Amino acid sequence: MVELGRLAVCLALLLSGVAVGASVLGARLRRPDLVRSGRHAAYAVFALVALATVILLRALLTRDFSLEYVAAYASSTLPTYYALAALWGGQQGSLLWWTFLLTLFAALVQLQNRDRNAALMPWVTATLMTIASFFLGLVVFLTDPFERLPVPALEGADLNPLLQNYWMLIHPPSLYLGYVGASVPFAFAIAALCTGRLGDQWIRTTRRWALFTWFFLTLGNLFGAMWAYEVLGWGGYWAWDPVENAAFMPWLVSTAYLHSVMIQEKKDMLRVWNMVLVLLTFLLTIFGTFLTRSGVISSVHSFTQSGLGPYFVGFLLFTLVVTAGLVAYRLPELRTPGTIESFLSRESAFLFNNLVLVGIAFAVFWGTIFPVISEAVRGVKITVGPPFFNRVNAPLGIALLFLMGIGPVIAWRRATPRNLWRAFAWPTAAALAAGGVLLAAGIPAGLAWLTFVGGVFSLGTVVQEFWRGMRARQAMLQESAPRALVRLVDKNRRRYGGYLIHVGVIAIFVGIAASSAFRLEVQQSLAQGEEVSIGRYRLRYEGIDGWEDGHVSVLHAIIGVSVGERRIGTLEPEKRFYKKPKQPTTEIAKRSTLREDLYLVLGAYDPDTQRITLLAYVNPLVTWIWLGGLVMALGTAVAVWPAASERSARVTVPGGVRVGAE
Amino acid sequence: MLEKRRFIVGSLLIAGAVAYLVWAGIRATSTYYFEMDEFVARRAQHDGEDLRVKGWVRAGTVQWDPGRGTLAFELGRQDGSDAVPVAFTGILPDMFAEGREVVVEGRWAGGQLVARQIMTSCPSKYEPALEPGPAAGGA
Repeated sequence: MVELGRLAVCLALLLSGVAVGASVLGARLRRPDLVRSGRHAAYAVFALVALATVILLRALLTRDFSLEYVAAYASSTLPTYYALAALWGGQQGSLLWWTFLLTLFAALVQLQNRDRNAALMPWVTATLMTIASFFLGLVVFLTDPFERLPVPALEGADLNPLLQNYWMLIHPPSLYLGYVGASVPFAFAIAALCTGRLGDQWIRTTRRWALFTWFFLTLGNLFGAMWAYEVLGWGGYWAWDPVENAAFMPWLVSTAYLHSVMIQEKKDMLRVWNMVLVLLTFLLTIFGTFLTRSGVISSVHSFTQSGLGPYFVGFLLFTLVVTAGLVAYRLPELRTPGTIESFLSRESAFLFNNLVLVGIAFAVFWGTIFPVISEAVRGVKITVGPPFFNRVNAPLGIALLFLMGIGPVIAWRRATPRNLWRAFAWPTAAALAAGGVLLAAGIPAGLAWLTFVGGVFSLGTVVQEFWRGMRARQAMLQESAPRALVRLVDKNRRRYGGYLIHVGVIAIFVGIAASSAFRLEVQQSLAQGEEVSIGRYRLRYEGIDGWEDGHVSVLHAIIGVSVGERRIGTLEPEKRFYKKPKQPTTEIAKRSTLREDLYLVLGAYDPDTQRITLLAYVNPLVTWIWLGGLVMALGTAVAVWPAASERSARVTVPGGVRVGAE
Repeated sequence: MLEKRRFIVGSLLIAGAVAYLVWAGIRATSTYYFEMDEFVARRAQHDGEDLRVKGWVRAGTVQWDPGRGTLAFELGRQDGSDAVPVAFTGILPDMFAEGREVVVEGRWAGGQLVARQIMTSCPSKYEPALEPGPAAGGA
């Protein structure tokens, strides 16, 4: 079985080469038969990689400890679903998993476009298969997941206990979907550059793919934050670790792209810029993979010095040179005559939003690689930590929040004073009122306050859009209010789905601002029966309890939680001691409400005195971040769902139909 | 033309703001990151500064008082040579143990590192096996 898996990846590598060759030759020599061969080869590559993936999965599920990979990442006591997750739990498996997704997407793209985009497709195939052959090369020559141990192990070393968490089942897959999904718009961009078909055909074709990529990157980042929050037990959700940054940067750039692409669709401007954003998103996904595998930058996640670094650098440079060369070659054709007419216009608001997003990505990139640069330039490693990222990104993020309110409602081309008044009078009034109320309520006029004000402003513009659209339908078509609202969204899903996403983003901004600015933290050593206060809570250490099985032994403190004299519940933060890799882990306990999270960590337990060290946090509005994510998911679903009008083959233009807003 | 100029000014303002924030941020927050041997060679020049130092927890030096939440240990090289005293108050990180590789972030003052944070390298997605063992070989 296992030998079959090895054979499958070897053949897949060979065939991916064939697919590239046949597609390129077929396109150059105008030989449809060769193009067809290329396509078929791509399907075959997918089938082979799928087979290999299934074989590795089977080895993991049957705990075949003759395989080095299985022996290193699973054990006989590991629950089945974590054995499944071990597929992406280790280097070799995760690269195979990556390749699987890539070839799956390649096959899907072929299927979607079998009767369309005939000129572009050979180049798309060639690009995707080039990427596939790079990863297959790694799998075949450097990180063979099918390597056998000289002597089969009796028992496996097991998955890292920190990974034995349900987030392991959802966070990495969503991040991988997002990472790998970025290859599809990239492949179409390369195809457009190769063929010189630089119009917006490639953009329309990949619109949903770009949204898909972006959506899963969003989820991946949020799930990662939730994981860190619930498992790592330091009271926060984002530490600006290089690995987090690696996932955040492509998200920023693809967010910029999703916005600027609307300018191209509507105005045929910014072709070069859009092209660069798509290429950059892909490069950043490869860069991110490189960061997480190479050990070049030390991270809380320590990575194996696996020796893959140079190969990734090579591939990155190769891609960079090819894409830069292609863009330079097509530059004269990419230039478009359209220029931005006015400083006060939607075009310019979008472009400024793009600059800020890319600016944040740049700052994150710079902070992440700064140790490497300083070492190269000055001979010493200088690092920057979370304070750097917070300082730099907070003002930029707030600027973005305000732009998010301006962009969707300011007029195209040139905003007149009348238009500005109409669009911004109410939101501005609401923001000013909210600002005053918050000041009166004792919120200091700082970054958090400014974020809340910006959030109200942006929310105001979105609510106003929904309201006016609904009222216009009611007036014109005599529809009832709920019906008018539903029809309004359905008629222009992309636009109103986008607004809904903005609402989610606003909630996330507010949650981040509140939980960073107003969090409380207390650390206290307690004897049984003693109390500690934090915020409005009183925490009483009532006892310690525990249980044990073959896999893990668990100790949990019983903490009575009261507000004033009223007892509102019991929380039981835990320490777990895993037996296989002997290692303690912390299981936090929390009480979440819309207002705040009470977050408890059992820091230490002294068996002699029965004293515990309790670490308690009150994190305001953290739930808003997760709810914001949910709203973003909902908004994305609204935006990608095919509209009724699309079935009649009409192309919807984002923001083009301004229902009742003029 | 005027519009174009305004537009370019706006873009430059954003780019300038980003550049300034990055520059000022790095000036205000950057700290040296030393490996043990670099630290030993240069520590005299950095008295009173915030630093990050990577080293190994020397066996037999860990004193952890769970009641008070105070930790003292010595940071050394992998082979156990050199000894830099470290003091820390807080929660013992889960992955902290003798012989492990750690990064200590804190102030170098009066001949000891007063740690604000101890980062234990591990939660790796890609290499779970920390303790060298027969089945734990890497790629």
